[in-house]
Amino acid sequence: MNIAKSLQRLRALIYKETVQILRDRRTLILFFALPLVELFLFAYAVSLTVTHLPTAVVDQSLDTRSRNFIQALENSGNFDVTAVYQNEQQVRQAIDAGAVKVGLIIPPNFERQVLRGEGSVLILLDGSDSFSVQSAYNAALSITQKYSLDLTTEKVQGGGASTALNALEGHLPITTTTRVLYNPDLTDLIFILPGLIALIMQIIVVTNSALAIVRERESGTLEQLLATPARPAEMVIAKLIPGMLVAILDMVMILAIGVFWFKVPFEGDILLLGGLSILFIISGMGLGLVISAIARSQRQAQQLTTVIQLLAMLLTGFLYPRTTMPVWTQIIGNFLPMTYFVRIIRGIMTKGVGLTFLWSDSLTLLVYATIALAIAAAILKKRLD
Amino acid sequence: MIQRILAIIQKEFSQAWRDRTTLAIILTIPLLQLIIFGYAINTNVTHIPTVVADQSLDQASRAYLDAMVNSGYFDVVATAPDQASAIRNIDEGQAHVGIVIPPDFEKNILRGDAQVLILVDGSDYFTSQSANAFATIIGQEYAIRIVYAEIAQAGAQASGTSLPALNALIHVLYNPDMKTLWFIIPGMAAMLLQTQSLALTAAAVVREREMGTIEQILVTPIRPIELMVGKIVPYVIIAMLNMLTVIAIGVFWFGVPFQGSFWLFSGLSFLYVFSGLGLGLVISSVSQNQRQAQQLMMLFMMVSLLLGGFIFPRYTMPAVVRLVGNLFPITYFVPIARGIVTKGIGFSVLSGQVIALVIYIVVVMFLATITFRKRLD
Repeated sequence: MNIAKSLQRLRALIYKETVQILRDRRTLILFFALPLVELFLFAYAVSLTVTHLPTAVVDQSLDTRSRNFIQALENSGNFDVTAVYQNEQQVRQAIDAGAVKVGLIIPPNFERQVLRGEGSVLILLDGSDSFSVQSAYNAALSITQKYSLDLTTEKVQGGGASTALNALEGHLPITTTTRVLYNPDLTDLIFILPGLIALIMQIIVVTNSALAIVRERESGTLEQLLATPARPAEMVIAKLIPGMLVAILDMVMILAIGVFWFKVPFEGDILLLGGLSILFIISGMGLGLVISAIARSQRQAQQLTTVIQLLAMLLTGFLYPRTTMPVWTQIIGNFLPMTYFVRIIRGIMTKGVGLTFLWSDSLTLLVYATIALAIAAAILKKRLD
Repeated sequence: MIQRILAIIQKEFSQAWRDRTTLAIILTIPLLQLIIFGYAINTNVTHIPTVVADQSLDQASRAYLDAMVNSGYFDVVATAPDQASAIRNIDEGQAHVGIVIPPDFEKNILRGDAQVLILVDGSDYFTSQSANAFATIIGQEYAIRIVYAEIAQAGAQASGTSLPALNALIHVLYNPDMKTLWFIIPGMAAMLLQTQSLALTAAAVVREREMGTIEQILVTPIRPIELMVGKIVPYVIIAMLNMLTVIAIGVFWFGVPFQGSFWLFSGLSFLYVFSGLGLGLVISSVSQNQRQAQQLMMLFMMVSLLLGGFIFPRYTMPAVVRLVGNLFPITYFVPIARGIVTKGIGFSVLSGQVIALVIYIVVVMFLATITFRKRLD
C-alpha cells in the first residue's frame, strides 16, 4: 500500500521533471549539441605526438659531415629546419620569440673533429613547452647516438680493424622491438577518445543535476514541493530519472560517433559498457545532486561544478597519469566517479577486457552511486527540519 | 556617465560582499586548485610499473635489466615466465610495461643478433610515450656500449680514436632540469584565471534577468554599455587578486623562478582578466537562464583549455582548430605568461599578443552590449 503510494508520487514527480526539461527547448538542444561540439573539436585538435618541431640551424662548418648530421635529424621526421642563422645568439632570440622550438648549433671544423673522435654539437630546446621538449630531447639523443655509432663503425672499418666488427655494418648487437599493446600505431585518438567520452559525460551529468535542487530553492518552488507528501528520497529519484535518460542518449550518440565516424576500435563487450555507463551516469548525477543540495544559490553550485570539472580533467587519469601523482591527490581523484570510469571505458573499449579485471572499479561505482544519492536525500531532509 | 557606472559598481560590490560564502569560495578556489595540480601533474613519467619475462637468466640479460632499472624509469613489480603472461599482467593493469628477453640472450649478443621485446600499455598516453621513448634509448645505449667495448678490444683505441665520435650537448633553455612544475605553473595560472573570469560573469546578467531585477535596472537611465562596464569592474579586482595569489604561490611555495618584469606581467594580466570577464558577459547576455549560461560556460572553458596551448602545443593542431582557439583570450595569454615568467622576455616580443588582447576586449564588450540591447527590444 505504502509502496504503491510512493510509486504514484514518484510518477507524478518524474512527470513534472520531464515536462520541465522538455519545455526549456534551448537547454535541451544544448544538452545534445555541446557534447558533439566538444567531441569533434578535441578529436581533431588533440595531437599528442609532437613531430616536425620547427628547428633553427647554425652550421658553422658547412662540410659533408655537418650536412649529413642535419640530414639525419630531418629524416627522423622529428625536426623541420625552418630557419638558418649565423650564430647562437640569433637562435636564442628565435626561441625567445617562439619562432622555433629547437636550435642546432654545429661548431666550425666539425668534420675534422669528428674524425679525431671529439665532435660535438649543441642542441637548444625551448624549455617553456613541456610536450615539445620531451619529444625533442628523446629524439635528439637517440639520433645522435645512432649517428655517432655509424661514424665509429665506419671509421673502424676504414682503419681495417677486426673482421668481426665489419660484420656489424653499423647495426647493433641487440635489437629492441617495441610493441605498443592495444594501440600499435600510437594513434592519438585511441588514447584520447575513451577518456574524452568519460569527461564529456561527467560534465553533462554533473552540471545538469547540480542546478536541479538549488534552482527550485531559488525560485521558491522547493517550498511548494515540500508541502506535498513527496519524500526527499522520492524527489531525488524523480530528479534523477529524466536527466539520466537524456544522458544515456548523449552517451549512445558520442560513442557511436567515436566508433563509426572516428573509427576508434571497440574491443570489448558493448552491453557491459552500457551497464557500467548507467552506473557511472547515476554516480555523476548523485555527485551533482549533493552539490545542489549543499549550495545556497545557483551561483555557488556553478562555482563548485567548475572546480569539479577541472579536477576531473586533471586528476582522473584522463590527461595526466595517476601513477605519478602523490597519494593525497590520488585520493582527491577518488572522489570523482570519472576516475573509475576512465579505467573501465579504456579497459572495455581499448583493451577489450571484461568484468574479471574491472570488478573492483565497477563495485566502487555502485557503492559511490548509492552513497551519493543517500547523502543528497539526507541533506534535503535536514534542510526540511 | 561615470556617475552611473560608479553606481552600478557600488551595487555589484555590495551584492558580492553580502554573499560572503560565495566570495570566500571565489577567492580560495584558484589557490586550492593550483596547489593540488601543482603537486599532482607530473608529465615526466618515471618508475613505470614493469613486468619482466627473462627467459635467459644469464649475465647479459641481468646486466640489460639492471641498465633498465637503474635508469629510474622502470620499476620491476612482477616477473612472468613468458610473453603471454606478461601481457596478462598488463591487461590486468598491474604493470604498464613488459620486458621480454628470449632464451640465449648472451649467446645471441655475441653473434650480434640478440632480441628484446618491450611491451607497452597503449591505453595510457603519457606512460606509453615515456616507456616507448626511454626503453628505446636505454636499450640503444646499452647496445652501443657493447659495440664500443668490442671496438676497444679490437684495438681501435691504439690508433688514437676516442669513443664515441660525436657528443650532443642538449641544453633545455629556461628549464634546464625539465622540471614539470616550471612548465606547468605559468600556463596553469592562465588556465585558472580563464576559468575564474568566465565563471564570475557568466551568470551576472542572466541572474538579474531570472530574478526580474533587470527590469528595475532598465527603468533607470543606465545605458547597456554602462551596465556592462559596471558589472565587470568589481570582478576585475577579484580576478586580479586571484592572479596575484596564484603567482605568489607559484613563485614562493613551488619555487618557480619569475624571470621577467612583474609590472609588465601585472599589466597584461589586467588585460587578460578583462577580456575573460567580457567573454563571460557575452555568455550571460545570450543565455535565457542560468542553466544555459552554465552549459555554455562549461563548453567555453573546456574548449579554451584544450585549444589554448596550455596542455597541447598549438602548432600541431590543424589550421581550422587553431582558428577556434583564437576565439579565447587564453590563447594569447599562454605565450605571455610563459614568455614573461619562464623566458623573461619583454614587451617587444609580445606586442602581437598584447594588441590581440586589446582588440579582443573592445570586440567582446561591444558584443555583450549589442546582444544585451537586442534582448531589450
